[in-house]
Order: sequence, then structure tokens, then C-alpha cells
Amino acid sequence: MLIKKIKVLGLLLLVLSVLAACSEEDSANEKKSDETDNELVYAVAQDINDMNPHLYTGSMPAQGMVYESLVENTKDGIQPLLAESWEISEDGKVYTFFLREDVQFHDGEPFNAEAVKKNLDAVQSNAEKHAWIKLSTKMENVNVVDEYTVELELSEPYYPTLVELSMTRPYVFISPKDFENGETKDGVSGFNGTGSYVLTEHKTAEFATFEANEDYWNGAPEIKRITAKVLPAGETTLLALQKGEINFAFTDDRGADSIAVEGMNQLEDSGDYQLIRSEPMNTKMLVANSSKADNPISETAVREAIWYSIDKETISKDILNGTESMAETLFSPNVNYADVDLKKRGYDVEKAIEILEKNGWKSENSSEARTKDGKKLEMKLYYDSSSSSQKTQAEFIQASLKEIGLQLEITGEESTSIANRRATGDYDLLFNQTWGLAYDPQSTIAAFTSEASYLHTTKGIKKEDELYDNIEQVMVSTDEQARKALYAEILTTVHEEAVFIPISNGGMTVIAPQNLTGVSFKQTQFELPFELMNFK
Amino acid sequence: MKRYIIRRMLVSMPLLLVISFLTFVLINLSPMDPAEVILQAQGVPQITDELVEQTKEEFGMDQPFILRYFDWLVSSLQLDFGDSYINGKPVWSLLGPAFFNTFKLTLISSIAIILVSIVLGVVCALNEGKMIDKSVRGISFFLTAMPSYWLATLMIWYFSVKLDLLPTSGMDSYKSYILPVVVITISYAGLYFRNVRTSMINNLNEDYVLYGRASGLPEKKITMHILRNSLQVSISIFGMAIPIILGSTVVIENVFAWPGLGSLSVRAILSRDFPIIQAYVLVLAVAFVLFNAISDIINAAMNPKLRNDL
Repeated sequence: MLIKKIKVLGLLLLVLSVLAACSEEDSANEKKSDETDNELVYAVAQDINDMNPHLYTGSMPAQGMVYESLVENTKDGIQPLLAESWEISEDGKVYTFFLREDVQFHDGEPFNAEAVKKNLDAVQSNAEKHAWIKLSTKMENVNVVDEYTVELELSEPYYPTLVELSMTRPYVFISPKDFENGETKDGVSGFNGTGSYVLTEHKTAEFATFEANEDYWNGAPEIKRITAKVLPAGETTLLALQKGEINFAFTDDRGADSIAVEGMNQLEDSGDYQLIRSEPMNTKMLVANSSKADNPISETAVREAIWYSIDKETISKDILNGTESMAETLFSPNVNYADVDLKKRGYDVEKAIEILEKNGWKSENSSEARTKDGKKLEMKLYYDSSSSSQKTQAEFIQASLKEIGLQLEITGEESTSIANRRATGDYDLLFNQTWGLAYDPQSTIAAFTSEASYLHTTKGIKKEDELYDNIEQVMVSTDEQARKALYAEILTTVHEEAVFIPISNGGMTVIAPQNLTGVSFKQTQFELPFELMNFK
Repeated sequence: MKRYIIRRMLVSMPLLLVISFLTFVLINLSPMDPAEVILQAQGVPQITDELVEQTKEEFGMDQPFILRYFDWLVSSLQLDFGDSYINGKPVWSLLGPAFFNTFKLTLISSIAIILVSIVLGVVCALNEGKMIDKSVRGISFFLTAMPSYWLATLMIWYFSVKLDLLPTSGMDSYKSYILPVVVITISYAGLYFRNVRTSMINNLNEDYVLYGRASGLPEKKITMHILRNSLQVSISIFGMAIPIILGSTVVIENVFAWPGLGSLSVRAILSRDFPIIQAYVLVLAVAFVLFNAISDIINAAMNPKLRNDL
């Protein structure tokens, strides 16, 4: 009886292993045929959502495929896109755009000055929602000059105008036929842009398909179809890539880093995929609340000591597995106007202790927090609980600060609650990041004065009024040299005050099939130029 | 019997009312200003005071709490749960398809669980204490203790990637159902077959079994009798299995990218899309209360003595 059972079991195992061997061959064949399909299927952690380009819920990479702006922000500065050229009046208040004449929306509607006006007016009629983009507060009138010429009147000169017009949203164009009651703020009836891809199918929480726009003014893209497949779990994404069900993945604004570093390396080692990283695009940092008067964090010396005692090299190498380089300043030098000579503060525990001692923070017992006038050197750091790397960094920093006699309590919270703390000033230290390449330095710096962002971070420093004056001036300055000088001054002030403690520079990561060429990056961490990619 | 059904249903009403109130209160206890929550859910990059005021007015949040609750309750009863904060679509248009997707998965899994539980339960009971009984119980204990996301990932790796037999995720064809159903069945059948086994064993020792055997009834017939009697006990347990699975598919749906209630609710919770969260809690609560009532009614139908309990 027993022998019979063993025989059956053996036979079963044999059949199973034969099956396994067969199917392994099958899958190899399948992969080959996939590569000639000229299709990209990428994973997204969340649905692409409402694609209305004048609101903020849609997926940015998807919006970037469908909609276009007047001008484009590139490595070499602002370049033409839907506007062939432009003129800026001498007082810096009137921008005249000469539009391309060969562009039409996906639904066949012509793209002309009238369409531009309708779109810009629709954005402006919801201006409160766009308060972050300063151009929205300065745009007074949009005038149609002739069919392909349009004029923007500003209330005062504003130098980042072109940069802000180049962003993924909200100043991009959707067919006026999709407007609801002449507006876009309460929703749109379709998603017809002028971009290189057309949204052809969308199944909420499942997938969205984009087909190449064969009538695209700049030539139809090589990759004929792009599908965004919703895969909420990073493990599944990795397995789906291994199987070839999806063949493309990248860190986007929401599904960022859903695949663990080891997983990405494993895919690269398999030879089927290549791993491509962009240059640094943003800075991850600790933000210190300088205006919290009853807390040691309000002292410049304490903030400097914290800066010196963080071993960024270890964080970059061991915690982030080399995916992000260590950062020395608020902006990396490749950011416009940010190549300023600033004092380096490397990892130096002794220096940190020296600074604290000099400023009256004395230690009686090496295992406890230092004190000054009976006040303990202790504070709280908040991190995003959904980010595994932030948690590890927070623990690492906590241990490092203990060495200089600073007691750090760390708390993980949801990102919304951290944003709320930042706005109300209810924090000592928290993790944050800069807006990123296309937006910086102006957007992050504009946020220094904003109640909802970094006002509490900058309010407590010594030269606060001077700083705010400089920020106001730099935004309206029309002279390049003056602007450079002002930015240098602003950056020096916040650097000396050590209110933004930089940790690492992050960018975009792309996992693509080995034979895909033309993978490049835009000046933003939120989009990819799919139209430039093709299979070898 | 009709009277019992009506009474049983009426008893559920106050419970539902309490649940609906708690749902509404709990969400409104959140320390953040609901208008700010809406704006954050919409991804507005910078929230100004003016915008908060404007949003409050737009969503009627300047109304007193109790008025807002009644408004919500009355429209919820008409299946109008408001609009999602994120994309402005009516909640029912998002919840409906998601509920249907999860329900399909739940229903198939429940049938699989019931069948597997009965088969294993009967086999184990008939072989009580023998090798087969011990090993089935051992294996099921091991499998139930395994976290379901881990089991799911393992299954995807083996059957989808290694053997290339099934899709890793999604809801494309009948093939997409196999892995999620198997994982759910493994996770739950281990719990339910024990009930069948225990009540079978209890019944085996009853006098009627002895009598049946003594009067020379065929063993098959006796087993069928025992099975019918022991299943009565299990009906209420199986009845509750459906809402339990309905509410606990979150992990499975996440791993298998199943566009159902679980993934919808997780997304809603992460982005604080309150109208969806409220509707989700309410729908689940109704499912629990409803299935509880149904299993009571079935029991009462089979055992008239129970009808007087209410």
C-alpha cells in the first residue's frame, strides 16, 4: 500500500517537473515576442484618476503624455513647444506668444489663440486652487491678437512666467469642446489634449491605454501603445516584470520606490532589463522649525550641530543603497541659480559637540541629554510612516544625535498629517523634499514665505525680514545679474542659519526592456518623454 | 415563519442606525479640518485660508453636525453617498463596480471554502485520530498561520512566473480568479473545516447512529444523516463567512491588483476620501447584519423551536 502511494507521488512529481520545464521554455518565447510588440506596459500604484489638466488629482506622467504647454523647460533653458516664439515687453508685463499653426486637439478641434484664451481663462477662474503657482496671482488678461497670436498681461513683471507656463499643470491645453459650461473647474467631458498620445481606454483601478497620436505635429511617436496598469503591491510589480506582463516601471510622484532596490538590481542582472537613473532632481532634507521659541531647535548653533552629526555618506550608501547621492546644500548645483559657494558641513561629531559646548549646552552625564539653564536638549522628528527609508533614516539620525547628547523622539505619521504640522508650525524637525528641478529654486523659495509651507521654518532666523525682502525682489526682478545676486544671498542666509538640513539628492529611476533606446528625462521628476523612446 | 422573518429584520434596524451614526461621528472626530482634508485629497499644492472657507461653503460644512448627519443618512438610504473628494464622481459609481468585483471573488471563494471544509471535515471525522486526520489538521494549521500576502506572493512566483500558467494579477479572464480564490480558500477553509469535523464527531456518538447501525442501515446512508445534522450547526458559521471574507479581501486585492472594495477602501483611507470610507463602512455593516439575519432565518426554518426565541 505504502509503496503504491510512493509510486503515485513520484509520478506526480515527474509530471509537474516536466510541466515546469515546458512552461519555462514557453515563457522565454513569449518574452521575445513581447519585445517586438512596440508597446510599453508600465506599473502604477494608483489609478491615473481624473485627467482634467486644470486640477490636481490626475497622474502627472499620464497628463504629460496627453497635454502640452506653450513652452518647454529643458536643460538648455526654455524652448518652444506649442508657441513657436514669444516676445516680452520691455517693462516685463506683457508676453506675446506666436502659436504653431499646424496643431489640433485629439478630437480635431483647431489649436489657436481662441483655445489658448479659453483654457487660460478657465484656469484663472479657479485661481484660489492655483495659489502655489505665483503666475496665477499676476495674470490679469489674456488677449487674442489674431488667430495664432495671443497676449498675456501681468499685473507686475514676474521672471519665472515662462517656467511656470511650462509645467505639467495647470497651464496646459484641453479641447474647448470638453469644457463643461465654459469651465473646467467642475469637471470636463473628455480628455482631448494636443500631446503625442491619446487616452483611448480607461478602466478605473485596472488600467489606462494611450495610443500614439498619428497626427502629432512633431511626428507620430515610435512606441505605438502605452498602458498604465494598476499594481498596488511592489512585490507583484516585481513578479509581473519578471514574467513580462509589464515591461516598464519608473518612480513617479505617487508610486515612488514601490520596488525595493534589491528587486531592481535583480531585474538588471537578469539581462532582460536596464536600469536608468536621472541626474539629481530634488533634495531630501530635514526641516527645522526655527520659530519654535521654547525649543532648542530655535537656536542656530543647535541646528548646526545636528547638521554636523548626520553621517550622510552612510545614509546614501547603506540606507538608500546608493540610489541617492549625499547632499551638501538645499539645492544641488545643477539647479538654476543654485551654484553658489557655501560653507561645507561634513560629518564631524567632535565639531558638533564643540559647538554645543560653546553655546552653553553642558553634559553632566554622558548617557543623558545635555542641558542649558535647566532646559533639556530634546526634540521631536516626524517622518512619513509609509516610507520605509525615512523610518530607517530617522532611527539612524536618532542614534547619531544621541552621541552628541541630543535626545530625539521620532514619530511616523501620514503624509497629510505631516503637511498639516508644517503648516501649523507644530513640529521641531520633519522630513521634506524640495519641489524639484523645473520648479526650483523659485517654487521652494517662494514657499519660504508661505503660511502653508515653510514660513515657520524661516520665521525664527535673525535676518528674517531681509530674507523675505530679497525673495519678493527676486521674483519681480528683470535683470539676470541682480537675480543671481539675490538668489545667492537668499541661499546663503538659509544655509548659514541651517534651517534646511540636506540629506540626499534623489531623482527618477526607470526600469526598461534591455532593447529600448531613447530613454531620457525631463526637467521634472513627475514626467517622462515617452515620445522619444523606441525599440532597437 | 413569515412573522419571524419580519421580526428578525426589524430587530436589525436599530443596530444599523447606531452603526451609521458611529461611522459618521468617528470620521468627523478627525483632528483635521474636513475642508482641508478635501483639498489635500484633491492634491491642491498649496492650501490658503480663502480656499478653505470657499470649500467649507461648497460642501455645506458650515452646517451643524447633526443636520449634516441627517442629510447624509437620508441620502445614503437612497444609495446617494455623495461625491468622492478626489475625482468628484458619485460614490455609488465607484463603490458599485468595486463591490460587484469583490462580491464575485467572495462568492466563488465562499463556495470553494464550504466544499473544501465539508470534504476535509467529513474525511477527518470519519478517520478521527488516524494519520490522515492528524496530517490534514497539521497542514491546515500551518497554512492558516501563514500571512496571506506571503502565501499569495509565493503562489504568484510559482504558478505565474515559474510555471507561467496563470496571470500574476488583474481581472482579465477566468484564469485571474484561480490564484486569489485558492489563497482565500487556503486561509479560511482551515478554520471552517474544524467546525464540520467537530460537529460530525459529536453526531457520530449520538444514539441514532448506534440505532441505525444496529438495524443494519448501509454505512453510506448513516454518514449522509450525520452530515445533514452536523451541517445545521455549521450553517450560521458559513453564513457569516461571506461578510467576513467580503471585508477582509484588502490584502488579497492589493497583492493581486483586484479592482474591488478592499483596494478602493485602502486608497480612500490613504487619501482621506471620507465619502467613500463612510459608504464602505456602511455597506460592510449592512452585509454583516444582513447575513447574520439570513443565517438566523435559515436556522429557524430548519429548527422551529428557534422561532420563539425572538
